[in-house]
Amino acid sequence: MTRRYWNINLEEMMEAGVHFGHGTRKWNPKMAPYISAKRKGIHITNLTRTARFLSEACDLVFDAASRGKQFLIVGTKNKEADSVAWAAIRARCHYVNKKWLGGMLTNWSTTETRLHKFRDLRTEQKTGGLNRLPKRDAAMLKRQLSHLQIYLGGIKYMTGLPDIVIIVDQHEEYTALQECITLGIPTICLIDTNCDPDLADISIPANDDAISSIRLILNKLVIAICEGRSGYIRNP
Amino acid sequence: MASLAQQIGGLRCPSLSTHLSRKPSYTNNINHTVKRTQTTKAAAVVSNAQTRERMKLKEMFEEAYERCRTAPYEGVAFTVDDFHNAIERFDYNSELGSKVRGTVFNVDANGAYVDITAKSSAFLPVREACIHGIKHVQEAGIVPGMRDEYVIIGENEHDDSLILSLRQIQYDLAWERCRQLQAEDVVLKGKVVGANKGGVVAIVEGLRGFIPFSQISSNSSAEELLEQEIPLKFVEVDEEQSRLILSNRKARADSQAQLGIGSVVTGIVQSLKPYGAFIDIGGVNGLLHVSQISHDRVSDIATVLQPGDTLKVMVLSHDRERGRVSLSTKKLEPTPGDMIRNPKLVFEKAEEMAMTFRQRIAQAEAMARADMLRFSPESELSLNSEGILGPLGSDLPPDGLDLNETSLPEDSS
Repeated sequence: MTRRYWNINLEEMMEAGVHFGHGTRKWNPKMAPYISAKRKGIHITNLTRTARFLSEACDLVFDAASRGKQFLIVGTKNKEADSVAWAAIRARCHYVNKKWLGGMLTNWSTTETRLHKFRDLRTEQKTGGLNRLPKRDAAMLKRQLSHLQIYLGGIKYMTGLPDIVIIVDQHEEYTALQECITLGIPTICLIDTNCDPDLADISIPANDDAISSIRLILNKLVIAICEGRSGYIRNP
Repeated sequence: MASLAQQIGGLRCPSLSTHLSRKPSYTNNINHTVKRTQTTKAAAVVSNAQTRERMKLKEMFEEAYERCRTAPYEGVAFTVDDFHNAIERFDYNSELGSKVRGTVFNVDANGAYVDITAKSSAFLPVREACIHGIKHVQEAGIVPGMRDEYVIIGENEHDDSLILSLRQIQYDLAWERCRQLQAEDVVLKGKVVGANKGGVVAIVEGLRGFIPFSQISSNSSAEELLEQEIPLKFVEVDEEQSRLILSNRKARADSQAQLGIGSVVTGIVQSLKPYGAFIDIGGVNGLLHVSQISHDRVSDIATVLQPGDTLKVMVLSHDRERGRVSLSTKKLEPTPGDMIRNPKLVFEKAEEMAMTFRQRIAQAEAMARADMLRFSPESELSLNSEGILGPLGSDLPPDGLDLNETSLPEDSS
């Protein structure tokens, strides 16, 4: 496995507020090794460990991308929805930024049926098939289409289970994480001081509330994916 | 292959059953083996190339994790000490009432999300975005990407986000502006939005100000003034007590500055009072006292004047401070008592009478000044050619004063 230099520097991370944790009362004692201090009733995560984990995660992701693996980014809080979508589109991976439907991965066959329906509806809309129907039917189909677009819009090109899943907030996406564990899919997760670091495979202790910190970490991973992909495209 | 997997699964079974009843121990090894057994079970069910790939990937991940744990500082560009030193610099304060700078990154129907470099993002509700009432933050000019200063007014317990407000800052600025404008004595336009028992309420610089009825100089009543813009001046600006009092009369009085004393203007009678009548001249209400209507004694004003009458009056004095004008028709009567008997004659002769009046005033003043000079010649004042007291010897024409041409003072009767 190659070890590359990802530009992870202290200034950037501190400016984005990556080192802030949650309130002191809400911590998970398993996070003790990653917490370095306590200020003003808030835990401060140790950024050296964060940087270490982040660089490891970037290496792994780079390797996987250079072998042509599929990624899935999950982040459903409405504050982060936009950043998740933007990052995923930039890295050309799948994403889920609205509610994670239960069984999306474990019940993949049903999800696949829905995706087929989504694809058919889209082709029909593009070819103008909806105009030939009576108005009520056309309205119903349009509603279904918008519904599917909202929930499955990010995974419309997915053909099978993803190889690596990146989850933005472990507290929120607990169901997604459990699904990945049952299926044995490796996960990279952003951990805050109130989460469990043992659940995911690689857990990056960081701040999951501030939008700038999420953006920073996603940026690094996305850069790694892009670089790996470009290597893959050049010599598959 | 399947049997081998099952064997492995079988071997691990005892530890699996004890997994549920084991005491919580924080060794990661057990966790990882548990995870691997779970996936092995999954693999036992669907053992194909995909799962094998996934297993390999998982192994890679775990190796990486082990590496992280065992060599925690390898390959990291900075040290723990740097980090500790830098914590001080990047601190944030989230006390209520403190100002922060932030960038807007998302706009919603309920407000805007602002990124302040702190523990969590902050929210700016639409009600707090602007002093005026608006429905969407875009009307106040808040778009994603905008960098501005906000003040913290609260904290959302549920997700630890802060609630911001722009209102406080805008209020402070508005009060400051009002104070400055009051110092400069500027006339502004304000829109009337409401009325109450004592006057009307108008909005000026985003703040609500009160105008008492006595300070409104226009003819219309409160209902007609609603939704209109009228010129206003500040009377009182007090931020602590939240008092902002404005006056229309003062603003109008200023604009009527060209009303010189002794000038004749046309006016319409507004209202009658026991002590006189209010005449509206060019927007400013002047008082025509009962004693100033005519030389003869006027017992009942209603016989002479009615509301709505047009008549010419002369300006006696103009108190700009309080916006009051004193009027008179007495001086305009050719013969005393004309006002009562023959108002139309007074109307026509008004200009002539006013001119005579002015001349008389000027003469009287000149005499008074000459007297003053006689009594105190040692003060270095003299009359220059316009009859205005001034310092000696400055106003003589260069080629000498020709005594033949000086105008003689007119005879005063």
